[in-house]
Amino acid sequence: MMPWLWLWWQGYVTVRLRGVGVERVLTRAAQAGVHLFRVQRLTADLVVVRLPVQDFRRLRPLLREDGRHLSVSILDRHGWPFLLRRLKGRLFLAVGLGLAALAVAYLANFIWFIEVVGADDFTLELIRAVVEETGLRSGVKRSFLDARALEQHLLERLPHLAWVHVKSRGIKAEIHVLEREASVLDSQGAGHIYAKRDGLVTEVLVLQGTARVREGDTVRKDDLLISGMYYDQQGRRQFGAARGIVKARVWYQAVGESSLVQWEPVKTGKRHRQFRLTVGPLSIPLGRSYPRDNHLVTTRNWQLSLGSALAPLSWSCIDYEEVQWQKIPVPLTEAQRAAYELAWETLLAQGVEIDQVLEEKRTVDYLNDGDGIRVTVQVEVLEDIGQFLGQ
Amino acid sequence: MRPAVSHKLKRRFAQTFDLPATVVLDQAVIHVFGDGEVQILNHKGLVQYTTACVKAKAVQGMIEVSGSELEIASFSAQAIRIRGRIRQVVLR
Repeated sequence: MMPWLWLWWQGYVTVRLRGVGVERVLTRAAQAGVHLFRVQRLTADLVVVRLPVQDFRRLRPLLREDGRHLSVSILDRHGWPFLLRRLKGRLFLAVGLGLAALAVAYLANFIWFIEVVGADDFTLELIRAVVEETGLRSGVKRSFLDARALEQHLLERLPHLAWVHVKSRGIKAEIHVLEREASVLDSQGAGHIYAKRDGLVTEVLVLQGTARVREGDTVRKDDLLISGMYYDQQGRRQFGAARGIVKARVWYQAVGESSLVQWEPVKTGKRHRQFRLTVGPLSIPLGRSYPRDNHLVTTRNWQLSLGSALAPLSWSCIDYEEVQWQKIPVPLTEAQRAAYELAWETLLAQGVEIDQVLEEKRTVDYLNDGDGIRVTVQVEVLEDIGQFLGQ
Repeated sequence: MRPAVSHKLKRRFAQTFDLPATVVLDQAVIHVFGDGEVQILNHKGLVQYTTACVKAKAVQGMIEVSGSELEIASFSAQAIRIRGRIRQVVLR
């Protein structure tokens, strides 16, 4: 049997034979060394047969020799020689096909899609952020993907993940994750409670373990507050998970700064628009860019989204509005309030709860250049400073 | 025309020396693959071909493959491969 690929490479024709005694002609052709395949009887006097193109010339004399009336005609031509002939007449099509094949082969060297499987919406965003930290994004080379390193990085950065498997499937990187069960996270083994910050102890409540500090003690960060060692009812020494509350007066300090002058943009009325097509790492601007120091820029993005996969194609519309900057003095009270609010934002970020504040102090200083103000806020709060650390 | 060596003598020769009769006697070999394909090796020509019946000559006689939707998948001087729904293969 002739392999189909070889047959396609040589070229073959589909021939229609009409008349009586087709069997005899087919036998003679076969005996003459012509290889026939897919011989189909369509009607009583009509047979369709396929044969290699070079054997077709040997078929005609056989028909004449036979003496009977048999007509032969070519129905179709297949294979590389015929395709080549067609392409020669369409040079640009051939060149286009070649270039397209090259482009596909080149683009197949990049990762265009990153898919996360097994994560809920919240974890998905976290994973995307952590993946971007490693530099893996749509459009990077496939060789850039180090699956083992990425798995390790994800497990280190996101401890609530129990299992991560990264695999590259062509132009797609798949990240399979499995999240830890909540009960596993909550369970604690034996350990002690330590101070998570400096403070003056005001209350100690031990549920399990032995208290190591008393009311009125001053403790520093990482000092032992409640030990996991205790003696049970039989007097035996045990080591378990220390449980309890140690409340202390703790001081926090934060600084906020604000300017006494404000630069406000005044629009001149001139507007410009630019479009930008982004394909993977390639960004193609359509139109002129304008300096950002005297233009306000508004960008609108349309990103192609395919479920949880990141698509490599995006379209941006960038509006430039020309402005002139004008200096406006800011009232002192307003600047103080802004600096104070900034300081409080820092305090809140440190974990201070407003209803726990016992005392607050505020100091105001001018900055050296005279254009700004600095507000320092000190607060004293009452909070639980205990932090369990397992052994 | 009478063959140079008679059929009977060839058969005896094959039996004496324990040689395959198909080779010595130039007989056709038929392979049946399930009910979808039949291969006839060493045939002597196609006699009849319809979608219901394919007849081929052989030294032993006439090989008749009947069924439905029959198609000759390949045809050469040595072998015929027939595909379709094979009902029966008869040697007449």
